Amino acid sequence: MRPFSYIRPTTAEEAVNAFADAEAGARFIAGGTTLYDLMKLNIERPTHLIDVTAIGGLATIDTSGDRLRFGALAPMSAVAADPVVAGDYPVLAEALWKAASQQLRNMATVGGNLLQRTRCMYFRNGVDGVYPCNKREPGSGCAAIGGLDRGQAVLGASGSCNAVSPGDWPVALTAMDASVEIVGPAGQRRVPIAELYRLPGDTPHIEFSLAPGELITVIEVPRETLEAGTARGSTYHKIRDRESYAFALASAAVVLEIEDDQVIRARIALGGVATRPWRATEAEAVLAGQRLTPERAIEAGRAAFRTAQPGRHNRFKLELGARTVADALLIAAERSRS
Amino acid sequence: MNTASFPDRARVDARDKVLGATVYPGDVPVARILHAMTVPSRIAKGTLTALDTSAAMRVPGVVRVLTPDDFPSPAPVSEDGPPPPPPTLEWRIAYRGQPIALVVAETLEAAIEGAEAVRPSYAPEPFAALIDSEDSERDPGEDVVFGNAEVALSSAATTVEATYVSPTQHHNPIELLVTTAVWEDGRLTIYECTQSSAGTRGATARALRLDPAIVDVKSAYIGGGFGQKGGIGQRQTALVAQAAMLLGRPVKIVMPRGQIFHLATYRPHSRHHVRLGADANGKMTAAVYDAEQEQSRHGFFPCAEYHESTCRLYGIENYRGTAADIRIDRQPPGWMRAPHPQAACFAFESAVDELAHKLGRDPVTLRLANDSRIDHRTGNPYSSRFVNECLEEGARRFGWSRRTPEPGSMTASDGTQIGWGVACGAYPSMMVPAIATLRIGADGSTRYAVSGHEMGQGIRTAIAAVLLEGLEIDPDRLEIVIGDTTAAPQHITAGSWGTAGAIPATAKAVARMREAMRELLAGREIAGNLHRQLSTVRRPFLQIEVSEVGPGQGPEALQALRRGAYAVAGPEYPNFTTMSYIAHFVEVHIEPRTRRVRVPRVVSIADCGRVISPRTAASQVRGGVVWALSAALREATEIDPRYGGYLNNDLADYVVAVNADIREIDVGFIDRPDPLANSTGLKGLGEVAMVGASPAIANAIFHATGKRLRELPIRIEHLL
Repeated sequence: MRPFSYIRPTTAEEAVNAFADAEAGARFIAGGTTLYDLMKLNIERPTHLIDVTAIGGLATIDTSGDRLRFGALAPMSAVAADPVVAGDYPVLAEALWKAASQQLRNMATVGGNLLQRTRCMYFRNGVDGVYPCNKREPGSGCAAIGGLDRGQAVLGASGSCNAVSPGDWPVALTAMDASVEIVGPAGQRRVPIAELYRLPGDTPHIEFSLAPGELITVIEVPRETLEAGTARGSTYHKIRDRESYAFALASAAVVLEIEDDQVIRARIALGGVATRPWRATEAEAVLAGQRLTPERAIEAGRAAFRTAQPGRHNRFKLELGARTVADALLIAAERSRS
Repeated sequence: MNTASFPDRARVDARDKVLGATVYPGDVPVARILHAMTVPSRIAKGTLTALDTSAAMRVPGVVRVLTPDDFPSPAPVSEDGPPPPPPTLEWRIAYRGQPIALVVAETLEAAIEGAEAVRPSYAPEPFAALIDSEDSERDPGEDVVFGNAEVALSSAATTVEATYVSPTQHHNPIELLVTTAVWEDGRLTIYECTQSSAGTRGATARALRLDPAIVDVKSAYIGGGFGQKGGIGQRQTALVAQAAMLLGRPVKIVMPRGQIFHLATYRPHSRHHVRLGADANGKMTAAVYDAEQEQSRHGFFPCAEYHESTCRLYGIENYRGTAADIRIDRQPPGWMRAPHPQAACFAFESAVDELAHKLGRDPVTLRLANDSRIDHRTGNPYSSRFVNECLEEGARRFGWSRRTPEPGSMTASDGTQIGWGVACGAYPSMMVPAIATLRIGADGSTRYAVSGHEMGQGIRTAIAAVLLEGLEIDPDRLEIVIGDTTAAPQHITAGSWGTAGAIPATAKAVARMREAMRELLAGREIAGNLHRQLSTVRRPFLQIEVSEVGPGQGPEALQALRRGAYAVAGPEYPNFTTMSYIAHFVEVHIEPRTRRVRVPRVVSIADCGRVISPRTAASQVRGGVVWALSAALREATEIDPRYGGYLNNDLADYVVAVNADIREIDVGFIDRPDPLANSTGLKGLGEVAMVGASPAIANAIFHATGKRLRELPIRIEHLL
């Protein structure tokens, strides 16, 4: 165990200032479900932990306005169980409750979940330095490329990294055009969720467009962009190697607006297949103004993977991913009718 | 023989386990304890050229770093003697993850930090991590041959031929490998979760050149064994024992799961080439089966045993089985639940299903028509064999007669493909000698000591069932002492012989005690239970000792037991062969688009002779089926041949089945005593429970889809 200091400020400002005062090696910590895990694996080696869980007002769930507002410290389990989320936004609720286990969802926060790091096995096996990893040790190489890449990304990979973005919740938020509020040394700003995540490129160790010391405080999901004001015609469909407690091999978040069997608008995002939460605009384009048939659903799914680049063992993700999108579309369509 | 069924009885330790009160070896409180952590090798083969421990020693709390120099050279190995103990610390590196140093510290945290601070230098060498790697060495084992299979195959009316593959898999019991060693007054006491307390004593004594008589081992409860905690001894044991003796303080280690993947045993990757022949009536006339498995350079997990069950599943008179080790640079594989038959019967029972399909025969009918009273390997009869009864009862419960034979013919209206599959399993039913002591006190206490280890299978409950059935004693003050070398001579508990070792001895102890009570009371009628009766006649206690051996065993088996040696009888006894059997019926549903496989129901009917403890027996079968599902659809250990070692070495990435994967499992027993195997008519169960359920799933998938999948695990990408 490596020594670190620990503080628990009570305001966001204090937390941000503490981060700025600390030398390199500071980390914010909330539920700890990722950070402690990675510390035990010696991948994260913070020297200062700034526990943000005592900051007041950041665990609020507010669904009364024209935007759903989730305080970053709200537990995943609480947001999943919120009556409005569970009733009117199945895409959000499902993305939360299909993740991890109840025990983890009770600890993990919806803000922290946005910053979960990859589950790439080569990344996580870092303790004795056997496997090179550009995320873990920039410039060391990538063992996953050309290696056991069944779980790796087929979309958005670079020559430096093909690690999958592991989350479910960020995928659902991407389909819902969510944004996050951030406070940091330079003040407050709002970032669309799509801009929070970076492609690996040559710098796969830089995963988020957050400056040092910036803290996510609120997640905002617009409801006014939805025809009905709710997203009942939505789903988060997650395909994995077992029925629970596993990361996605392929997943699809779908939000459908349908009128008289015609798709007015489809929003589709993919998980488990890409290096970041992946908005499938090509698939969305296939559906706009069309009748949603099983054939068109699979056509949309295939469109989502038109630019995909498989490795040695993950070619199946192209077909599985396309079918996952198709199933998700049909589930969402069924819900929008009822 | 008493043939009455035993009544249902709750687990005797259920309440304590639910309350968390059960004391596992890692929970035994020991004062002044030190904590140890191993340093694993990062190279897969070569030599450790230097070990800089100075930084580790500077970590506050670190007491000592043990290196290969702190251990005696390896014990000499004789051809016919016991297998060598696991190596201690060595300068030669045989596999990645091999422990190269042991850091001992006042706290666990300091031990971990110290282990990370050890600076080894290596001279690495090229290595072979997989069967197909360059530099792997083929090492043939003994053949199993009877009749003339090649001739019979060439004259068969119908033949099938295919190769089947089973992956590397790791046991992963929830309890990690835990050892505490205490050196006090010239005695070494080891608390360890081991299925073989006497084996641990012997291996530790040999590795450290100690007199085994000064070593005691206690393993009262194990949090899941599955063979990982039996077999060839655990590598950490002698390390912490040596540390305890050098430092004069108790030392404890809890091996991290990532390291356990790299140094404990595992189910080896294996390949099985099977050819079957049948005559025009569907009678199987020939089997030619070549098995090969990955093996360490000096490992001895025997490849020939792939044939133990397959050569006796049916009445095939012509059988030729070959087997080979493919030696590579990994740690030794070993016994993992249903060790050989899990993979062998996956291959063989898949091939039988292929044969049924090719013959146009129902797979149940084909199996029923190939039963046998004779073990053709020995020419002796089977002592009991109710595999057809298992098939018939299973088919009845499952509703097999409603199955339509054509693959893909049972597709539901939403496109879900439904498949019904069947497969059988067999496993040798073996027996071990036992020496037991039973003492009943006038104060209400009863103490019974016998050989056996409780890894959750329910041996304590089975023992209690026999004691409480036969003796009027206070169940609340019944103490069953097992897994303890100080209480009774201990044999390894594995191979499904635990019950066959403990229970006939227990039945004998009951009879002897009743006799002793009769003698004591000499015709007097005294009311009350045995404690009360003893009290009335003013006897503080009555104690008896009994011993029992397997058929064909004599006093030499008891001597072997006392020495802590391996003393297993069967499945080939002097005049008969004894096997346990099971038939599994499985329904699978396969989603139309994303092709997820679900297993909504399983019916499993076992012939394990007389059922001693119905509740734990049924639980054993359900556990076996769960694991067979997991082995068929989930589990594989990932090895990147460029680096060696195991990539998915935790419970997140080594995907085992979870509760949500498991639906209805209906378990039944034939419950008819074996007349010859032992005095209580029981046969082994824990292993056979798992055998055959994986191929039943694969066969059901074929029935659902028409796709024959011959490599495990079957995953979503194979069905897209």
